[in-house]
Amino acid sequence: MSIRPDEIKVVPRGPEPGGMGGAYRAFGETLRGLRTTMGRLFEKPVTIQYPEEKTPVYPRFRGRHKLHKFEDSGLEKCVGCSLCAAACPAECIRVVAAENDPEDRVSGGERYAAVYEINLARCIFCGYCEIACPFDAITMGHDYEMADYNRSDLIFTKEMLLAEPIDRTPLRGEGE
Amino acid sequence: MARVEDTLHDRELRQAGAMGAAGTLRDEEITVSDFTTELSERIPGVEFELEPEQEMLTVNMGPHHPATHGVLRLVVDLEGEVVKDLKPVIGYVHTGIEKSCETMQYWKVIPFVERMDYLSYFFNMQAYVGAVEQLIGLEVPRRAQWLRVLHMELNRIHSHLVWLGTSALDLGAMGVYFYCFRDRDRVLDTFEMSTGQRMHTRYFQIGGVAEDIPAGFEQKVRKTVEQLKTGIHQYESLLDKNEIFLIRTKDVGVVSRERLVELGVTGPLLRAAGDPWDLRKEGEYLAYPELDFDVPVGTVGDGYDRYRVRLTEMKESLKIIEQILDGLPEGPWVADDRKYALPPRAELSTSMESLIHHFKLVTEGFRVEPGEVYNPVESPRGELGCFVMADGSSKPARVHFREPSFVNLQALADMTIGEYVADLIQTLAMLDPILGGIDR
Repeated sequence: MSIRPDEIKVVPRGPEPGGMGGAYRAFGETLRGLRTTMGRLFEKPVTIQYPEEKTPVYPRFRGRHKLHKFEDSGLEKCVGCSLCAAACPAECIRVVAAENDPEDRVSGGERYAAVYEINLARCIFCGYCEIACPFDAITMGHDYEMADYNRSDLIFTKEMLLAEPIDRTPLRGEGE
Repeated sequence: MARVEDTLHDRELRQAGAMGAAGTLRDEEITVSDFTTELSERIPGVEFELEPEQEMLTVNMGPHHPATHGVLRLVVDLEGEVVKDLKPVIGYVHTGIEKSCETMQYWKVIPFVERMDYLSYFFNMQAYVGAVEQLIGLEVPRRAQWLRVLHMELNRIHSHLVWLGTSALDLGAMGVYFYCFRDRDRVLDTFEMSTGQRMHTRYFQIGGVAEDIPAGFEQKVRKTVEQLKTGIHQYESLLDKNEIFLIRTKDVGVVSRERLVELGVTGPLLRAAGDPWDLRKEGEYLAYPELDFDVPVGTVGDGYDRYRVRLTEMKESLKIIEQILDGLPEGPWVADDRKYALPPRAELSTSMESLIHHFKLVTEGFRVEPGEVYNPVESPRGELGCFVMADGSSKPARVHFREPSFVNLQALADMTIGEYVADLIQTLAMLDPILGGIDR
């Protein structure tokens, strides 16, 4: 299919600069522009005073990862299957799995993640790990303040990911 | 050669200094006129003449120049203020994304390709995902097609807003920049709401989209559309008849339509020159044949036409978005083919078969029969095409992008030679190059 002639819209050229019209526009159009800018004085500011006021995020926002435990038994949901590491396009997840000790279980499955590290300096927050995880053990949280002074501090271990994060990020409702 | 001469010259100078006779070695000044006379004598039949006014100055604009909209270096030959020659030097943000794609499974390439042209990520995804879908012969559900168009048109507005803001800033219009970025933020908010990320959303997946839009999304987009309409009215009232803007943009950087076609320029640049070439009309992909929208074209092809065409395109995109919100079809948002698309999450805990499919798709990915496909889409900057070659494995053998910014940059020399340096800045801004896309 090619374009129909009635679908072509020729844009207006606007006035030619200079001359009497130019002299008028130098004042008249400038004043009209000033009316537009001055009109904004009566609007609410759109800026957020950031460090004091946090930007609210939507429920789907993908921030720092969280690892989860079962609420009733307190066992870790992660069974060390390494699907998240396989799905990660940035290769920032490292999982080393180990057998569960029946006496002292760590996770709900047969195996558990002995080492679980996410290098947040490499992570691109695509959320493929969350999609890949068949047990909902890893999800993307809402925390977006992750800056640090050392790169090594950005490698998050299992304990850091399991810990309940300080809730700093306000959430937006549906209608906002 | 130059090095040897330099050292010889140094040695001469040192010897002369040692003899206490510095300055005597080179007391005979050779002037340029001597040089031309000598040349004329040596080569009979050719007159070498000296033009006393002509003094060329080669200036390196960039790579770190705020007006280059990225890390672009322009080697400009100037005669006074007039540009005589111009060579763009690219490669400063080369990331090797195309090569990296060859080491990834098909679904893992998606977050990579959207990081090339960082202002049109939905288009990059659609070009790639569409190519893979054509390779495997997968039908995208109707709702997914409409959702893709919705996000792509919002993305087009977002890209044009960044273009308008930075271009107007180059011409000294500070207020437009703030208004554009205010409205751009509202568009990014809608992306955050539906996809979870403001930029680089990986929302398009092979076979559809990653997830359905959330509740309240329609109202949010409708509100954003209203705000954008007010916003566009504000930019128009500030720029359309502004005398400075008219003087700076009218009849500047004009290249004929034929020359633009020769250079392979597409998108708003070509449409501003009067050629109604739009792949949304010609290519017939996704839901575009069902939607009613116009293609704005200019008449002269100068900076003012480029501005008007892009602004009208934003209005047409708003028209498309409203049509989509009115007529969004119900149904699945991802293809129901377990060989290529991930099974729904609810099935993972109940169906063993789904779990096996899930493991297989996440770890190994799907295999694609050998073949190659080129899939073009109309990005905010022109024809964005993705070439994918499959060799039967689960990773693409080659992913190549035809980036519109890269091709359009060729026309910069044609647009600016013979113009002033200040107009070079303006023309480059109106060209709208994205260096992440040019270098890839």
